Amino acid sequence: MLLDFDRMGRPLRATLVGIATLTSLFLLAPIVFIVALSFGSSQWLIFPPPGWTLQWYRDLFADPGWLEATWASVRIGLLVMVLSVVLGFLTALALVRGSFPGRAALKALFLTPMVMPVVVLAVALYAMFLKLGLTGTLFGFVVGHLVIALPFSIITIGNALEGFDFSLEDAARICGASEWTVKWRVTLPSLRLGLGAAAVFSFLVSWDEVVVSIFMATPGVETLPVRIWAALRQDLSPVIAAASALLIGFTLLMMLLAAALKKRNR
Amino acid sequence: MTSASADPADAFLSLRGLRKTYGSAVAIDNVSLDIRRGEFMTFLGPSGSGKSSTLYVVAGFQDPTEGSVMLERRSLLGVAPNKRNIGMVFQRYTLFPHLSVADNIAFPLRVRKVPDATLRTKVAAMLKLVHLEGYGHRMPGELSGGQQQRVAIARALAYDPPLLLMDEPLSALDKKLRDELQSELRRIHQETGVTILYVTHDQEEALRLSDRIAVFNAGRIEQVGTGAELYERPATRFVAGFIGNSNFLPVHVAAVNGGVAELTLPNGQRLASSRLHCAARPGDDAALMVRPDRLRLDDPMQPGGDDNVGVDVQVRDLSYLGDSVQYAVSTPWQQELCVRQPLAHADAMRWRIGDHARLCWQPSRAQLYANA
Amino acid sequence: MNAHTAPFPMAAAAHAPPSRSSTGLRWLLPAATLLLLCFLVPVAMLLVRSVTEPSFGLQHYRELVGSWTYLRVLGNTFLVASVVTVVAVVIGFPVAWLMAVLPRGWAQLLMNILLLSMWTNLLVRTYAWMVLLQRTGFINQTLLKWGWIDSPLPLVNNLVGVTIGMTYIMLPFLVLPLHGTLKALDPSILRAAAVCGASRWQAFRRVLVPLAAPGLASGALMVFVMSLGYFVTPALLGGTSHMMLAELIAQLVQSLLNWGLAGAAALVLLAVTLGLYALQLRWFGLASKGR
Repeated sequence: MLLDFDRMGRPLRATLVGIATLTSLFLLAPIVFIVALSFGSSQWLIFPPPGWTLQWYRDLFADPGWLEATWASVRIGLLVMVLSVVLGFLTALALVRGSFPGRAALKALFLTPMVMPVVVLAVALYAMFLKLGLTGTLFGFVVGHLVIALPFSIITIGNALEGFDFSLEDAARICGASEWTVKWRVTLPSLRLGLGAAAVFSFLVSWDEVVVSIFMATPGVETLPVRIWAALRQDLSPVIAAASALLIGFTLLMMLLAAALKKRNR
Repeated sequence: MTSASADPADAFLSLRGLRKTYGSAVAIDNVSLDIRRGEFMTFLGPSGSGKSSTLYVVAGFQDPTEGSVMLERRSLLGVAPNKRNIGMVFQRYTLFPHLSVADNIAFPLRVRKVPDATLRTKVAAMLKLVHLEGYGHRMPGELSGGQQQRVAIARALAYDPPLLLMDEPLSALDKKLRDELQSELRRIHQETGVTILYVTHDQEEALRLSDRIAVFNAGRIEQVGTGAELYERPATRFVAGFIGNSNFLPVHVAAVNGGVAELTLPNGQRLASSRLHCAARPGDDAALMVRPDRLRLDDPMQPGGDDNVGVDVQVRDLSYLGDSVQYAVSTPWQQELCVRQPLAHADAMRWRIGDHARLCWQPSRAQLYANA
Repeated sequence: MNAHTAPFPMAAAAHAPPSRSSTGLRWLLPAATLLLLCFLVPVAMLLVRSVTEPSFGLQHYRELVGSWTYLRVLGNTFLVASVVTVVAVVIGFPVAWLMAVLPRGWAQLLMNILLLSMWTNLLVRTYAWMVLLQRTGFINQTLLKWGWIDSPLPLVNNLVGVTIGMTYIMLPFLVLPLHGTLKALDPSILRAAAVCGASRWQAFRRVLVPLAAPGLASGALMVFVMSLGYFVTPALLGGTSHMMLAELIAQLVQSLLNWGLAGAAALVLLAVTLGLYALQLRWFGLASKGR
């Protein structure tokens, strides 16, 4: 009866509901808070704000540094997305369909970046790229983000491949299709959903990536998270709140998109 | 229809005026029933008929909107399920997956703080009862479905409850296992003498296991009685159709004299007389029920005997069933009826597809139901 | 952002159709090269530096466990990770429990709140807490206004702020897998426990907790391990005088250029992380990894 909502007894139910409500407020409050403060007129982020303004947003858009950082994040994100999906597809294909010894070990190896503390990877890459003079370059960011995003891509596409019936490929081959046509017209379209999910994941991983980016960045080249990080180290300017509110809006948009896509696929 | 004695205090388990509504939906509609001590009572009916809901009210997992439940003269309403001291076996075994077989059976004893020595003896006795000696250390995941259900029964009986509830416990098993466990259940019932309240939608199972059966339909009990009573004298059209096989002939009531009706078949043929089973008035349409094993096929030219009614039919199909032959015959009014003749019967195998025959039955074996 | 999806099970040999590619190894090469050159080699190099710079030997490790400063950092890290894990379990279990039994609409709402929090940018969430916890922040102002305190509490730039912030970040990582485990339980098992005579507390202790334990332990372990190696939130909310291991490594590299010691600290962190994950794998199997 402990797992029946209406039969678990009033005191227990009330306790659970109470804790869940408080936790929900705890989870939501900071987010709502920041959005509200981004429109507040207080320089020191006093809440409740004495007045309302759009000044911080204007400052945000007026500052070329923010726009450049955003643009850099977008460029890097798109590159990472493409590379991650391509490499992830090839790797997942090999891991799911290939027959060679040590498959299990290799699979575990490819997923290692996911379990490792990012700071170790960041510092290690920083050391190597410093020697090679690759810090502050697009290449450095892309490679660093790619290493982190790839495991997610492999898993997502791997799951999709597990669900794909490979005899469809055989059927196409018997019909006379070339290997390329088989992959392009039969396999890939069926994997659309998995590939799409891997693409989105990879972009978002790169978009939100902080630690590796901090080490890769130079004063000239920085991604959006790096810029926020640097700003936070100095002071808590409300311009950051404005940038944050926009990012929150972006997250909400992604969630609504995901929900709409899920509903369409049902 | 109820089987309620005048004084609810006499019965072992007494349900009175139970009603359960969810908004405008009625799950249990005025159910009253007395169950005797040591009886094997089955709630039989299709899904949604209220049989499981009633069982859950007795178990304490649902509160009735109205009505009372008395066990050994004490009311169960308001008593939490864990204080009712009733045993229950669920459809999906529901053994505790993290405990061994022995610990599963010991669970109700441990929560009652039974001392260890007594506990061990009892668990051993229960394992013996369900014929699973030596399985004590196994985990539920290692057992087959039938074995798991036996452990569930052992666990339910471990604390000697006065009442055992069973919610379609065998429906998840295959036919052979089901037959096996049905015999087990009868044996356990005889050995322990516990009162059993059993829910199923399988009428064959109900007939095989029960002392009495309560047939549920749309939240109400249509009839309560032994298997023979329900088979031979079904009180309503629903019970007639639900228990055993049946043929329903559409008839028209020509006249009613005393307790007997004169009926007309769709082809105009008059039927001698039929015992009335319902309030039929002249001019009404009704249904005449005859069981396939009460029908006989005779030579087409044979006039009906003193007692028999006869209709000319043509054989459409036949199936050899080992102990009997089943014929599908079509009537002059294009209705297909089912006839079953035991092979011991001399004439059983003589008919072929396409043959014309005369369908006979004794009027006293047919029952009339209103077309409500 | 951490989007956790379950790793796929290995395709059973029985699924092998005749067109299986035996040269599949070739397709692994691009990703394998990337992994080798940009992951395994750099990390290995870093770890090697811990015993080769400035001279050969284990002096950095001796320094890590010998020096009071570094020991404090290690201690802080384990302390914060432990507290965060405990708090996450205490808050997270009831939340996951409720989510598993609520009717669909309400459960979905709770889930959405969790997901929104989890998917919002890490820096944004940490920034929000920096603002909330500062001396002139909302929390201090409210407590002052209600007269509960006389002067503002120091809630940032110390371990308190770090713990609050980390709990906020880690909570969804505990609730989501635990919710999965609880939702998969058959409610009639708990009903059977009730019929057997168990009181609510007995059913909780003897049936629900043992059955929830795998999901709970797996989630708790993941939260603990992640907290050990976390960089952003402790760095922002903890300040330089209350450093945790990840920030120590960063400082050693960026400010002090002490690559040897950084490598040693990294090895310690890596060893503990991989060790705990290996333990989890052994106890709970591959299915819980990556959740």
